[in-house]
Formats: sequence, structure tokens, C-alpha cells
Amino acid sequence: MRLGRDGIAGLIGLAVSLMLLPQALGLPKLPIVPVGPGFYPSMVLVFMALTSAALLAQDLLARRRTGPADAAAAPPRAYGLVATAFAVVAGYIALMPFIGFRLSTVLFVAAFQLVLDRPASALSWAKLVAIAVGTSAVTYAVFEHYLLVLLPRGAWTGW
Amino acid sequence: MLELLANGILTILQWKYMVPLFFGTLVGVIGGSLPGVTITMTVIIILPFTYGLDPLAGLAAMTGVYVGGSTGGLITCCLLGIPGSPASIATTFDGFPMARNGEPGRAIWLGVWASVWGGLLGALCLVFLTGPLAAIALEFGPWEYFSLFVLAMAMVAGLAEASLLKGLLSTAIGLLITVVGTDPIGSVPRFTFGSEFIGGGFAFLPVLIGIFAFAQIMTDIEKAKASNPQRSLSASSVHFERFSHLKVNWEIIKQPFLLAWATIVGLIIGILPAIGGSASSVMAYDQAKKFSKTPERFGKGHPEGIIASEASNNANVSGSLMTIMAFGIPGDAVTAVMLGAMTIHGIQSGPLFISQNPGLSYGIYAAYILAHPLMLLICWAFMPIMLRVTSVRLAVLAPVVLVLCVVGAYALNNTMNSVYVLLIFGVFGYVLVKAGFPLAPLILGLILGDQIEVNLIRAIMTDSDPLLFLTRPISGGLLLAAVLSVVLAIWQHLRHQKRTAGEEDADF
Repeated sequence: MRLGRDGIAGLIGLAVSLMLLPQALGLPKLPIVPVGPGFYPSMVLVFMALTSAALLAQDLLARRRTGPADAAAAPPRAYGLVATAFAVVAGYIALMPFIGFRLSTVLFVAAFQLVLDRPASALSWAKLVAIAVGTSAVTYAVFEHYLLVLLPRGAWTGW
Repeated sequence: MLELLANGILTILQWKYMVPLFFGTLVGVIGGSLPGVTITMTVIIILPFTYGLDPLAGLAAMTGVYVGGSTGGLITCCLLGIPGSPASIATTFDGFPMARNGEPGRAIWLGVWASVWGGLLGALCLVFLTGPLAAIALEFGPWEYFSLFVLAMAMVAGLAEASLLKGLLSTAIGLLITVVGTDPIGSVPRFTFGSEFIGGGFAFLPVLIGIFAFAQIMTDIEKAKASNPQRSLSASSVHFERFSHLKVNWEIIKQPFLLAWATIVGLIIGILPAIGGSASSVMAYDQAKKFSKTPERFGKGHPEGIIASEASNNANVSGSLMTIMAFGIPGDAVTAVMLGAMTIHGIQSGPLFISQNPGLSYGIYAAYILAHPLMLLICWAFMPIMLRVTSVRLAVLAPVVLVLCVVGAYALNNTMNSVYVLLIFGVFGYVLVKAGFPLAPLILGLILGDQIEVNLIRAIMTDSDPLLFLTRPISGGLLLAAVLSVVLAIWQHLRHQKRTAGEEDADF
């Protein structure tokens, strides 16, 4: 039988809790405390395992009663765009230690705008660049100079 | 008490505090008015700016965001028919029809003034009731605290719209995140798998920012290509009719019962843990309709609908502040961020907060009170600018917000580790939202997890008899209330399932 998203979530929750439970139960006891460091995590994991199992069972029972749901009813969503957006954020975070906050922020803001709304004219391109540079410059100026937050420097660029 | 309040007001009136309060309120009004930008996200955006400030200045800025955001949402509600923030949902029902009937100015200013009245009535309760509530909380031992936290989580999980089980599982996930790292009593590493990265556990704020901000932005991006006919209306092209502020105020004051009841509803919903302004707004609207002599006019531009919704969502702010200051439990996600900011500054909220930090607590009261006239001033002076801001494209807004989220996470302890945590939980939060999991129970579990463990161990160390959790009257009463809350939620869900039988969610 094909699982619905609740069933999959329940299955993952159950697997995670059952995987971690032996670790929690195996944690060393402390002499001064009547219950060890594994006592509370075990409670949480048992609670998680029970709710996950119940969610899985609920999904299986619901599917047995009504059959698989009609996926065509869902409104169209731009999941590809979301995946690209996450990739751009991941790239930004990965690049920051190497090229520094200022440069990576310019690239990130420009790339993110490009992904969401590609400019159609020279003026739109100019706006895109201005927003990217402006965001980086204003953020840097405010945080470094006024709020005294030292933003990341790049290992490759040195600034 | 009044002397302390007067001192608090005089303190906040200094430039050092007034400027952050003003900017916080301004950003709150703008953030609240932007569809898709919630008050939580706005307070997350402002969070990194508060790190370098005096604790009271930072908290004043956040209070300003909270008050401003609760009101700002009504602008797009009335002009575009789209709630700027979830807290203003019910304002749309009558604000938009009133604006379409040729009275956009009256619709907006009824909302703004109702927010001020509701907020200031809520302030009275905040000032006079937080102390007594904290005094009650002082009588609590670890058993009562443990049971109170369990009740809070049971209530929030039970309120999950989609499924009680998902609410409970979401709570469990939040609790599980808090046990990663070293245990609070003996510093024994738990679930670290030998990794230095998670050796110290996950810092609360990057997790919160990641889960909330990413889930929100990515969900908006999903829908970015979908057309929204209402959005094509330009708020900046609206022309306000001539109207009188005195008349608008008279419309509100001549209905004292409506105003008081909406305020009380907002206050109570605010005090209950982790229930946002949207619930108070909708509930107050519903109550106003039930008590109204003209219920048939609701939904067609009735002023009572706007007054109830807006007075309630601003009073909700004071209720949330009461909970955080008296019990150390966040009233909603916004106060959860404030709680995190307090922790960064080494301030412990809870029943001793007011007695140990009178300057800070009365400063927060004062900031809350003064944020209302500031919000009024901002709405009056910057309305044309705000109308323009509501048309900012997601392609511009999203990367700027994400940059501030990254800075907010990084600036916590000046390491990239917090930024990596932000990204990991950003993806995780989005997946949870797509799987239909409510985030509020997770956040509450995340906030209360450590405290639950500490109080549980403390209770067992004091007396190992587990029955004390049930036999101590307050603790037993709280646990009974928790059980009843879950039973009530199960009953409601079963009833809801019967009504919506056959409507199933799509597969992944």
C-alpha cells in the first residue's frame, strides 16, 4: 500500500526515535542524580515513537477507508524554483568564508533576484545590480560601523 | 508601581531608547503591511540590529515591531483585501468592503484607532496584572513548572489545525532538538555522534530564524508564479476620502462593551502560550458578530468588525508580554524571539524577572505604551510611503530578508556554525511545513525543552516520589488541564473529520 505524506512522516519519526532510543538508554548514570542523562531524552523519544506510530497507523487506516488521494487537486507550485532558491542560499553560505560577506552578499542578492525575476531591460539590470550592491553596502556599514558586529572576511580575498 | 512606571516612561523618552522604539515601530508597521511578511519575520529581521544595543533599547525596538506589526497588517487588508499579517485576517472581512464602498480612509483609521484603544486598555492589564501573575508563579515548585510547561505544550499541540497527532509530533521534534548536546546536570554529551559541530547543541535563535524565515519565504516563492488578481490592484493609487478622526474615535468609544470585550478576548488569547494574534482577531470578530444588534451587516463593511479585530490583536500583544514576563513562557513566536534576545543579554525571564529587573520590566511596559502614539504618528505621517512599500516585489524583498537572517545568525557568536544551523533548519522547517506540520508546537518544545528537563530532574532530586506531580494541587490541576486540553482537541478533530470526510491531502 502506498503511504501518504503523513504515513511517510510517521515512518521517519518512528525510525529516528527507535534509532536514538538505545543510545539514550545507554548513556552513563551519574552518582549524584537519581536519574541519568538518558532519562529525559528516553521519555521524549518514547513520546515521539508513539505519536509517529499513531500518525503512521492513522494514515494507513485512512487510506484503507478512502483509497489514495487525488493528487491532481493540489494547486500548482513552483518547487523547482524553491530548490533553486535553496541552492543559491547554500552557495552564498558556502562561499562566504572564502570571499567574505561583502562580495558574497552582492553575488547572492543579484543571483536571487535573477532566479525569481529575470530582468527584461537595461534599466531592470541596473536596478538589480544597484539593489545587490546597496544591500551589501548598507548592511556592512550598519553592522560593522554602528552595531560593531564583525562580519565574515574571506579567506581568499582577505576582506 | 506608578512611580516605577513613570520612571520607565521617562527612561524610554530618552533618545537612546526612543530612536530604537521609533524605528522598531516603523519597521513593524511596514513589515506588518507587507503581505507574506509576518510579525515574527519582521522581529527576526530587526533582531541582529539589537545585539549591539543596550538590552532595554533592543527590547523596546522589538516591542515597537510587535505593536506596529499588529496594526500594519490592516493597511493591505483594507486596500487590497489581503491580510498584511495573519493577525489582521478578520479585519479584511469588513475593512476591504468598506474601502471598496469608497471609504478607504475611514476603514484604515477605524482600524488604527481601534488598535490604539485596544492596545492601551491591554497596557492597563499588562501593568497591573503581570506582577500578581508573577507572584502566583513564585509559589510554583519544580513540579508545578513541569506541569505548567506540559499544559502549555498540550494546548498548543491541540490547537494545530491539521492534526492533533502532527501537533504532538511537532512538539516531540522540538523537545528532541533541545536534548542534542550536553545534558544540563552532568554535561554528558547526548546524540552528538562525536561531532564538534553539534557538541554544544543547537542555539535556539538560528534554529528559530531558519525554521520560520525560510519556511515563510520559500512558501511565498512557491506561489510566486501564480497570479493573484487582487494584487494587481495598486495600493499606491488609492485616494483617501475626507473624514474626521474625531468621528472615527467616537464610532469606537460609543461602543465600550465591544471595545472592552474584544480587548479581553485578545488579552486572554495572548496569555495562552504560543497562540498568535490571528486567533484573537478571528475570535473577537466572531464574538462581536454574535453580540451585535446588526449581525447581518458583518462582512459588508461594518465598523464593528474592524474595531473588534484590531482592538483584539493589539491587546493580544500585551497578553503575550504578560506571559513572558510572569512565567517565562512565550505567548507566541514573536515573544519567543524576544525571549531569545533576553537570553543573549543574560536576562532570565520568569516570575523573578520583575522583582530582579524593575527598570527593565517597567521600561518594557513604557515602551509598549509609547509604541501606540508612535504607531499613530507613523501611520499618519508615512501612509503614502507605506502604500508604495506594499508593492515591493518578492524578488527584491526575499534576498534582503535572507541576508538579514544570515547576519542575525552569524552575529550571535561570530561563527559560521550558527549560519550552517540556520540553513539546515531552514530546509527542515520548509519540509515540515510542506508535510503539514504546525510550527508553533515545535517552537514551544524548543523553548521549553531545557526548562522541562531541569524542573523534572530538580523535582526528582528533591523527592523521588513521582506521584507528587499528581498529588500537589496546582501541579495535579495543571496536568489534569493538559489531559482535558488533549481530550477536547481529539473531540474537536473527530467532529471536524466527520464534517470534512472525504477531503484528503495530496501525496508528496
